[in-house]
Amino acid sequence: MFVMPPRNLLVALACSSALAFPVCAKDGAPAAPDFSGIWARTTFGYDLDVSGPGPLKNLARRANGTSDAFKLVGDYHNPILQPWAAQIVKQHGEISLAGKSYPDLSNECRPLPPPYILRVAQMQMLQEKNRITILYIQDHQYRQVRLNGTHPARVTPSWHGDSIGHYEGDALVIDTIGIKTRPGSLIDMYGTPHSEALHVVERYRLVDGNAAREAQQKSEKEYGRPTTEPVYVDFDYAGKGLEVRFTVEDKGVFTRPWSSSVTYRRSSSDWQEIACAENTEEFYPGATTTVPQSDKPDF
Amino acid sequence: MTFLRAAAFLFAGSALAWPAWAADSAAPVPDLSGAWSRLTFGFERPTSGPGPIGRYNNQPNVGGNFNNPILKPDAAAVVKRRSETLRSGEDYPNPSLNCLPMMSPYIFRVQEMQILQKKDEVVFLFMQDHQVRRVRLNAQHPAKVTPSWRGDSIGHYEGDTLVVDTVGVKVGPEPILDMYGAPFSDALHVVERYRLVDYAVAKAAQEKNIRDAGPVATEQAASIDEHYTGKGMQIQFTVEDKNVFNTPWSAAVTWRRAGGWVENVCAENIHEYYNGGLTKIPQAERPDF
Repeated sequence: MFVMPPRNLLVALACSSALAFPVCAKDGAPAAPDFSGIWARTTFGYDLDVSGPGPLKNLARRANGTSDAFKLVGDYHNPILQPWAAQIVKQHGEISLAGKSYPDLSNECRPLPPPYILRVAQMQMLQEKNRITILYIQDHQYRQVRLNGTHPARVTPSWHGDSIGHYEGDALVIDTIGIKTRPGSLIDMYGTPHSEALHVVERYRLVDGNAAREAQQKSEKEYGRPTTEPVYVDFDYAGKGLEVRFTVEDKGVFTRPWSSSVTYRRSSSDWQEIACAENTEEFYPGATTTVPQSDKPDF
Repeated sequence: MTFLRAAAFLFAGSALAWPAWAADSAAPVPDLSGAWSRLTFGFERPTSGPGPIGRYNNQPNVGGNFNNPILKPDAAAVVKRRSETLRSGEDYPNPSLNCLPMMSPYIFRVQEMQILQKKDEVVFLFMQDHQVRRVRLNAQHPAKVTPSWRGDSIGHYEGDTLVVDTVGVKVGPEPILDMYGAPFSDALHVVERYRLVDYAVAKAAQEKNIRDAGPVATEQAASIDEHYTGKGMQIQFTVEDKNVFNTPWSAAVTWRRAGGWVENVCAENIHEYYNGGLTKIPQAERPDF
């Protein structure tokens, strides 16, 4: 009679439960990295220090040399941009230099597609056997990623797009297509447009605590810390950080695929509630959006 | 260690896993995970005891029954004013119209949701406007709760039931507790009890709810998997608010497996509920650039 060795039996039990989420590979061995918990960033921007084609840099600088968060002038000379897209970026920059905000998914309370959603300062990953759910602190957004699935032959466009994922060793790879377009669709803070051909691949990987700290410090050196909202990073935490490398391709907008990364560290705070519809603060400091006021109550 | 206990220990002890295990590692918790759907905005009345205030004259779109004796006088006046607003063909501000987060039990008007059961928390995703509720398991409310739209929710398992307890719900200028227009105060306390029920029970409860509450007047994005004949889910909940109601009251909402999941963004919705028209929004004669 065949007797299964107890250790293998236990692993098989742990990996086979329909209810449980023990992230297990097909051979029954625990495999997937643990990304669970709350993560935070200190800047909105994408890392510029990349080899090969990379994201746009802000041409407007503060006196200390960092990106001027209140003048968003994307480098429309970046060779990744097709001429028409460069023109769009330039026009956004002119609006920003005039001291105005341009329509943006973030200031219109709309869902943010990848990679733009990586600007949100705090997020939480929930790993299940067949699915990853990512919660974002801004306006209670969430994305869902089907593991080991395929994109439908015909995707219904949505703001978050259709995302599938799989584990590759220590990395989670998320592949997204089917992102909704409309006039003014953008994928970064400079108003860089996208088309229905947008294809984003993200690779999530745990990195050493020092590497994560250095990556965030480098990002802060470029962008500075936000002055309009709190920073949620636990600066005392020395454990692992979370790096997201991503590649963007869109033959309707870009001349070539380009790549960048962002890095998260553990959050210092639990989850706060941020309701976009309640935010009357304008992006430029000290300004508040005028909202309709009643002279008397309705009843 | 016996084999069974060793297996139980392995299930319950993994830091990564959600082993669906109670705190004492003794019994599995109910599997409530997945997407659930219902087809009305209304609550199911209890078979006995006080229930929701219900509709004025039991008619659709005329607001709540402000004559219900469970309402304190000030609250009854609020419900009456809201009812009068509806009867004049207008609508009163509410979280659904204003794209604001919803609290329990008002959030059950959203007709499709997902439950994600983790070891230390349960997360609810609602289809309307990407709303998320988070419930900390086996925890306490803080001594001083910072009010928020969803309030502070804690939970635990009692046998086959998930119990969720919520306090600290933010009271805005127009607090709305339910689709009947009842208000609430900072004393609001809601306890929800989630459990699986047989298919026949769930189907009958939903059909009765449609007869009692009436079908929704406008097409909703939610859908039920009519081919699924497995378990449904029922949430029985109790509401107490000493500033609004003379007594605690209870109701239920029943769910069946959802037929799909779509993106539903409040900021994009220009549909007007009553006249079936579309809200006028500013239009540019020419593009900005």
